Amino acid sequence: MDEQALIHDAQGGNLDAFNTLILHYQDSVYNTALRILGDEDLAADATQEAFISAFKSISSFRGGSFKAWLMRTVTNACYDELRRQKRRPTTPLEPDTEDGEEMDSPRWLADPNMTPDQKAEADELEHALQHCLNNLPLEFKSVVVMADIQGMDYSEVAIAVRVPLGTIKSRLARARLRLRECLQGFAELLPASFRLEEGSSA
Amino acid sequence: MNRRDLELLSSYLDGQLKPSDSARLEARLSADAELRAVLSDLRSARGLLRQLPMRKAPRNFTLTPKMVGKNPPLPRTYPAFRFVTTLATLLLFFTVGLNFLAPQLASQSPAFGMGGGGAPEVFSAQAPAATEAPAADAYATEAPALESPAEAEEPPAELAPLPTAPFEQSTTTREAESPVAKEGETGNAAVQNQPEVQNQSPIPPAWQIVLAGIALLGALVMLLMRQLAADRWRQKS
Repeated sequence: MDEQALIHDAQGGNLDAFNTLILHYQDSVYNTALRILGDEDLAADATQEAFISAFKSISSFRGGSFKAWLMRTVTNACYDELRRQKRRPTTPLEPDTEDGEEMDSPRWLADPNMTPDQKAEADELEHALQHCLNNLPLEFKSVVVMADIQGMDYSEVAIAVRVPLGTIKSRLARARLRLRECLQGFAELLPASFRLEEGSSA
Repeated sequence: MNRRDLELLSSYLDGQLKPSDSARLEARLSADAELRAVLSDLRSARGLLRQLPMRKAPRNFTLTPKMVGKNPPLPRTYPAFRFVTTLATLLLFFTVGLNFLAPQLASQSPAFGMGGGGAPEVFSAQAPAATEAPAADAYATEAPALESPAEAEEPPAELAPLPTAPFEQSTTTREAESPVAKEGETGNAAVQNQPEVQNQSPIPPAWQIVLAGIALLGALVMLLMRQLAADRWRQKS
């Protein structure tokens, strides 16, 4: 895929070229939205909104990391979605059973390629991680999702969230520490190599 | 643990420190158990996050022209049709307006000059030399005696060239027949001539019909062009 050529064509209004870029990046963009919002449907909506917005403003892309530019768009879409949620009654992030109780292994965490035991463990760990992510302040969450889940480097994250590199370092460090503290509550779910030693946390 | 050390440890974990800073931190780590514990915590958190599975997008998020508000490409001749249709429509409104207003203006202008019946006489007397300064002076001196004070304040209305040819002809003819024409008679003549003036439309109705036809036809052709372009576009995508 010649990304630069596709971007150039998309800037000229070529929707097919932009759709090729979408197919390449949609998983990353969707996962970022999913981890920030913690809800499959909201993440899909934010992803779609982000791509529409990205196409409309692609003329403003002046080179550099296209992925970082896309991530900025999806982060903004997620912020908008969260603001909308604040203004209206929200649905719980974890789906409920018919009895109104929270499901232990929600459908959105299911992976059909695992054995039932593995699936149950992975589901619970993922559930715990998402729970801790949801508890992070938004500005921490977007940084940690891009740096640690998407594997973007600091400069890309800085472009995506439009803050200085020093702020990225600070937010990332604090977000990691908060996540570790939160995960102490799920110690039994963590793999042995990740278990926190008693009293090691500062 | 202060914030500075926390940031240093996190950056060290990602290999973002300068070699000299890294060496300094490593020296501190070897001597400080708390620093090591925090580094271990950060590493654990990062490791867990990296283990989160990447979800496949639940559907393709590719965009359609409709989603981004793009319109189907129109034929190159479309702007020409749009220009002609717009022009014809504007001209049609202009001519309709002109035909509607012209008789009203024509009927209003003599009324301004009637002012007790004396004005037409004055106007006709001055008409042959309307552009000459002495005539204007004469008018100015005669006006106070012949017209009401209100009219005297508005001499431009009297000088306006609105009285039409038939009107001028009839008044001058009458004057020629009886040099000492009575004011009332002249006034009656103006009133009698009014229907004649109102029946005259500056733009013939045939032109309006042609313009209306062009506007309608243009609009129809534009509509068809848009529909055909949209159909073709839909089939293509």
